Amino acid sequence: MNPQPAIMLRDLVKSYGEVKALRGVDLAVEEGEIFGFLGPNGAGKTTTIRCMLDLIRPDSGQIQILGLDPQQNPVAVHARTGYLPGELNLDGNLTGRAILHYFHELRGMGSNTARALELAERLDVDLNLPIKNLSHGNKQKLGLIQALMDEPRLLLLDEPTSGLDPLIQRELLQILAEARESGATIFFSSHIISVVEHIANRVGILREGKIIEVAETSDLLKRAVRRALIRFRHPVDVSLFKELPGVSILSEDGGLSVLLQVTGDMEGLIKQLAQQPVIEIETERPSLEEIFMTYYDAKESEA
Amino acid sequence: MRAEFTSTLRQFRGQIISWGLALFLLSLMLVPFYESITGNQSQLLGYLESFPEEFTAFFGDFTSMGTPQGYLDIEYFSYMPLLIGIFAVLAGSGLIAADEEAGRLDLIAAQPLSRTRFFVSRVLAFISASIVIVFFGWLGMVLLLGKSGMDLTPAQLVLPFIPVLAYIFIFAALALVLSMLMPSRKLAASVSGLLLVADFFIQGFSNLITDLEPIARFMPSHYFQGGYAMDGLDLGPVLALSGLALALALLALWRYRVRDLRVGGEGGWGMSWLKRCQPATDSIS
Repeated sequence: MNPQPAIMLRDLVKSYGEVKALRGVDLAVEEGEIFGFLGPNGAGKTTTIRCMLDLIRPDSGQIQILGLDPQQNPVAVHARTGYLPGELNLDGNLTGRAILHYFHELRGMGSNTARALELAERLDVDLNLPIKNLSHGNKQKLGLIQALMDEPRLLLLDEPTSGLDPLIQRELLQILAEARESGATIFFSSHIISVVEHIANRVGILREGKIIEVAETSDLLKRAVRRALIRFRHPVDVSLFKELPGVSILSEDGGLSVLLQVTGDMEGLIKQLAQQPVIEIETERPSLEEIFMTYYDAKESEA
Repeated sequence: MRAEFTSTLRQFRGQIISWGLALFLLSLMLVPFYESITGNQSQLLGYLESFPEEFTAFFGDFTSMGTPQGYLDIEYFSYMPLLIGIFAVLAGSGLIAADEEAGRLDLIAAQPLSRTRFFVSRVLAFISASIVIVFFGWLGMVLLLGKSGMDLTPAQLVLPFIPVLAYIFIFAALALVLSMLMPSRKLAASVSGLLLVADFFIQGFSNLITDLEPIARFMPSHYFQGGYAMDGLDLGPVLALSGLALALALLALWRYRVRDLRVGGEGGWGMSWLKRCQPATDSIS
């Protein structure tokens, strides 16, 4: 493990007047990791990202980005970071090409825009049109290109798939996977759980300004609640399933079928089913959304 | 820094064209009328005497209409602070706040350019735009100068435009600092605009009402030399106004360096009692 995390947040607190946006966020993201940051609107995702870039200053707490304090070295942090804001607004009078050129120049990268052109082709965006004539999705593509084009060590992407159609989303995930292979760390927030599932190594769940869970994406999926619909050749005693750990019956149909809810792994259930006249099993793979909601519900009941 | 300077100057393109063209045409139109107006000076003075004192007080000494300096002062430079002040207030208040309220600043500020360098780039672009606009005003006067009968050189005509620039800088810097301190560009522009108009009227009325003179001394236009700068530019007031503009700009820079940037929209005063009456404007998602 790299001794220096790409992102280190310690007890980060930020208020807007009386509203506490962050209530002590602790987080470490390793270099080369793809980290998904989940949470509903108002949870503090954008605030956390903007603190990392010194666009806003936390009330207290510590931030280290690639070993640098963004308040002490904002330019150095920005030079190593590609950023996509959650609410992207660009000068509508410029063409895509001109805005990318402007950001490229601001980053002091000279006139080599080959990477930007390659990304534009892959994401299928016309750089010659004025931005005011572009759809939300195409503007989002420009935002992504400007974040990616100079191959930064860290990508901070706030809702990167917003407005993108499924095909382009897939291409973007591929581009992000390639960036990671080249050594980049990717930190992104998203509402679209399937995106997080596909690409993130780890996930952090933020709720009301506090991280309530950080886990491997695969672990979260394992821990999730699944549903299983089982049909039998002839009626069986479904009460047998009640006794299995982590299994509960949601509904049944005279012993000919049963809908079960299973928490954790399905090993016990599968062993029990092997002794029954099963003709069909349908299982619903849990989505992170369900996991996310499970966490929220669980934490809310705790509260 | 060059990229930001160039980009800001490009954003000023529309204002350079419109304000530059307006000043150019105004200047171009005035100069050829000089001879015909001075030829009928006694008639004109008689006509002007019929105007109320409260009106003529704003335009200087009409008896000096017969000299090029007096003519240009009355017809052009006497109201130039108010006119060009509008540009200064709008440009100064929007220099940074316009992008912030439009939600564009967030991404720009995340680029590897320090807040100081960004601020300085924008201020330098504004200064350059102001010089170009004023240059067009000067050019309009110079083009027909040879045929006007005015005994003036192009170099002499540069002199009254220098206080015009200082006047632009002071009001732009005021609007800029207010845009950094107040919750919205609109409010900063309104307050600066109000002060601009107050400055013009207080200075004008102080010519009639002596009680206003002590107040007028605190107004920038009190130190505005106008057309008479052609007889010899008084550098003291120019430097004082420019120095004050610099001090205001430095205050704006300090504020910009230490404050949080908004995602977009207008901000608030940060007063809890006021916040309860207003919808939240800052994103915390």
